[in-house]
Amino acid sequence: MDADGTSEVLARLRDVLRDSAVEEHDWDAVGPETPIESLGFDSLTILDVLYDVEEEFGIALDPKQVVKTRTIGEIIALLQQNGA
Amino acid sequence: MLHLLEYWAARLALFGVDLLPPAAASRWAAALGSLWWTADRPRRRVAISNALRAGVADDVRQARAIGRGAARHMGMVLVESMKSALVLDDPERLRVHVPEDVAAVLEDPDRGLIVVSGHFGNWEIAGQWLSRYKPVAGISRPMNNPRVQKLALERRQRGAFRMIPKYDPDPGRFLKLLGDGEILALLVDQHARQGIDVLFFGHPAKTHTTAAMLHLVARTPLTFAVCRRTAPLTFELTLSRLIEQQRSGDRNADVQAILRTLNSLLEEAIRRDPDQYLWGHRRWR
Repeated sequence: MDADGTSEVLARLRDVLRDSAVEEHDWDAVGPETPIESLGFDSLTILDVLYDVEEEFGIALDPKQVVKTRTIGEIIALLQQNGA
Repeated sequence: MLHLLEYWAARLALFGVDLLPPAAASRWAAALGSLWWTADRPRRRVAISNALRAGVADDVRQARAIGRGAARHMGMVLVESMKSALVLDDPERLRVHVPEDVAAVLEDPDRGLIVVSGHFGNWEIAGQWLSRYKPVAGISRPMNNPRVQKLALERRQRGAFRMIPKYDPDPGRFLKLLGDGEILALLVDQHARQGIDVLFFGHPAKTHTTAAMLHLVARTPLTFAVCRRTAPLTFELTLSRLIEQQRSGDRNADVQAILRTLNSLLEEAIRRDPDQYLWGHRRWR
């Protein structure tokens, strides 16, 4: 386990993505370097995912910050900045 | 073949619209709508069936009258959308009711707004009026007839009102627009294959979830717009107070609650003016 809890956040994030996503994907292979655009979400399906991510971590993300993220690692950093 | 026929009917309508003064053009388009009602038997059947199912008509005769009225109405919508400046620039032709909470959002350049309506009255006039406050992006799916779609896009006066596709490969597209203080305008009354069942006139209808999800995720204010025709080329645009849904943690329940509210507001408008609604769409499948 890493000291800052990144692995745990990543694992929980993977679970949310697995449950929320419409398209099949190898979610176990998703890591901090994975580009978000490679996960197959579009402007509609991403909304379901974001809702579920916020509920999982019990936080509210600023959409302006969310749209700036390009990788899973950046999403994790954003979650951690918000208390995850 | 039907698409080609529709295209030439639209071209014929536009020819008359260009030649005639606005009021006469509106009558011309209404007459063509009536002619279309007579010619398009499949859509006529759908419209009569829908009006009966919705309970706005007591019998087939009444449903037929409503359907014909709606066909005339849609013809007029075509003309009004192209001559919208005439309406938008004349306060006698467009009375607007905006609650204080919605006005505050409209006047704040940093706040986005989700505006929902249906294929009722003249939704184009509503969108164009709103675009005088903020840029408006109308989320739409293309018309079934690509020829008519191309023609319509070429001829509409839009200003800061633009159409964008429903599905965008950029996941953040809608969130960015709202974050930039723009308005997203959506019509929520078309069959949504991937939507959820929500009661519409008491019957489950597959409904798009986008407006509700954007409200829940982007926490952007949401309002419902009704732009009803009160006389030829004259309208009353009413925006609802902001619709607010607190998140419960149950995504589907939250979305259902919002969509039920939106459908109720649309039903209310349709019951008042049933001949201003697009009954020819197969809403219940």
